[in-house]
Amino acid sequence: MGTYVVRRVLGMIPMMFLITVFVFLIMHAAPGNAFDAIMNPAIKDIEQLKQQLEHNAGLDKPLWWQYVHWLGLFVTGNWGFSFNHHVPVTQLIGPAIRNTLILGILAEVLTIAVGVPFGIVQARNPYGKFDYTSNVVLFCLYSVPFFVFAIFMIYFFAIDLQWFPAQGSTGTGPGAGSIGDHLYHALLPALSLALVNSTVYSRYTRGSMLDVSRKDYVRTARAKGLDEGRVFTKHVFRNGMIPIVTQFGLDFGSLVGGLIITEGIFQYQGMGQLVIDAVNGRDYNVIMATTVLIAFGVLIGNLLADILYAVVDPRIRYD
Amino acid sequence: MAEPLLAIKNLKTYFISKDAEVRAVDGIDIEVQPRQVVCIVGESGCGKSMTSLSIMRLVPKPKGKIVDGEIWFNGRDLLKLSEDEMTDVRGNEISMIFQEPMTALNPVLTIGEQITEVLLRHRKMTKRQALAKAIEMLQFVGVPRASEIVHEYPHQLSGGMRQRVMIAMAMVCEPKLLIADEPTTALDVTIQAQVLELMKKMREDFNTSIILITHDLGVVADMADHVVVMYAGQVVESTDADSLFAEPTHPYTKGLLASIPSLEEEKDVLYSIPGTVPDAAAFPKGCRFADRCPIAQPSCREKMPELREVKPGHLVRCDLV
Repeated sequence: MGTYVVRRVLGMIPMMFLITVFVFLIMHAAPGNAFDAIMNPAIKDIEQLKQQLEHNAGLDKPLWWQYVHWLGLFVTGNWGFSFNHHVPVTQLIGPAIRNTLILGILAEVLTIAVGVPFGIVQARNPYGKFDYTSNVVLFCLYSVPFFVFAIFMIYFFAIDLQWFPAQGSTGTGPGAGSIGDHLYHALLPALSLALVNSTVYSRYTRGSMLDVSRKDYVRTARAKGLDEGRVFTKHVFRNGMIPIVTQFGLDFGSLVGGLIITEGIFQYQGMGQLVIDAVNGRDYNVIMATTVLIAFGVLIGNLLADILYAVVDPRIRYD
Repeated sequence: MAEPLLAIKNLKTYFISKDAEVRAVDGIDIEVQPRQVVCIVGESGCGKSMTSLSIMRLVPKPKGKIVDGEIWFNGRDLLKLSEDEMTDVRGNEISMIFQEPMTALNPVLTIGEQITEVLLRHRKMTKRQALAKAIEMLQFVGVPRASEIVHEYPHQLSGGMRQRVMIAMAMVCEPKLLIADEPTTALDVTIQAQVLELMKKMREDFNTSIILITHDLGVVADMADHVVVMYAGQVVESTDADSLFAEPTHPYTKGLLASIPSLEEEKDVLYSIPGTVPDAAAFPKGCRFADRCPIAQPSCREKMPELREVKPGHLVRCDLV
């Protein structure tokens, strides 16, 4: 396992390299740059000023030079300045990563905590009343576009009941910035995302548990004299979780997509907001840094899922 | 004769759904004496597997249902036990091994975990004692490197080894009755013989009675004391093994025996019983074998023949023999 992890981590290096090249090219293929916004004909010599700014940022150099220059600085930890915010990129990214991790982890935990037990309850009594009614509810929830659902959640829980803040990632009053404050702000967006995602997990769980409960080895377990509770916890559950873990790994990329939309709707100051902002403002250094980090997060997530997969299924061996 | 260990009386196991009632087992009587090997023979779908699952009360729910009958085991009617009482019987007094050793073991638990689970359920043992007993049992059934194998997973073993593990698991509580549902069908021939030998050894050493379900008459000849031939959910012939092969009486049994390939006679075409088994959701009124029977008379289709004794201990469900 150890050598496998090392090999996978080393394998990420060329992958990350290709991702940076790709993002760099697409970014520069998009029309305009960060300094177009200052183009105001009322200002005298604005054209010259813009050229000066572009020269300072190195944008007048050939593309390959710009890339190599960026890469050289990036790997040594110098991630450059934001063109639009005039602060080091690292200073922008620090709090954004923290906020997104809080939101993402909370959302995933809630997704699993809601979806899996729900699917299990359905599978324990399939084709019953609860199974049918809950399936209809889940299907409706799954079919509603996420942004509609999220706005409904804001209206209901933040505006009507006033249980949660409607937007933002931290408060302003006393206690702002504490762990409790962060979680309080992350809870509603995380819950919205989790409820929608958990519909998929409960469907998978239900199907997987039902599938496993028809297996020969479950009959063997009953033939040993185990009661139904034990048959389920020891034989059905563990085997039934294998496809769920696989799904969890595959979902990492789409989780990131979901987070970006969620952050947008809830005006939550995370990586998603930062990356959208940077793309709109052609803030090259920020785009590069955020996409590299997001790609890295997805790759690490996939690796974790693969390791978890080997933990739950002894037939998977990586060496 | 002594009190039988197991007496199945008029067992009926049906699969009931909205639009059909499939009579998988339709009123069978079978007795098993202590230390006896009873073979249940018949083609696919004749109800032999459902009979064995009925004894264990493991008929697939919710459609499968034991609708009538009694299963007397050791002085108790198993069908009257509560589910809790029944779990004390399973794996302890009656064990079962299945056809597919590949799928009958849990892929994510070690061999040791799966065997000790039975002991921890039915015997007051610590985990360490149970593991020692599991290793001892594996050695007994001829699994090499038993003390290492207990820490391995089923996929690391061959089919024959897995079936040995299944037997060790089934026998570890020294049950009075072992039900083996086609235990050798999925194995190749040399391994088959070894597994059958092992089951004989189990009978000798633990005084276990065995119900062996098979469609292989070679296995019957090798193992059986008593043979029950099933057809379409019913017993059509029941007798001791010697007389079954010496004087098969029911036309179906004769057909089965005639369809065994022989080394002595060279035949171009192997005999096969014409036709197929009738649909269990719509059995005919009379004899269920009549449509395929070479000696059937019009009267056969009118009235269901009763199981009757043609010789002492030899029962046949046919009015014409």
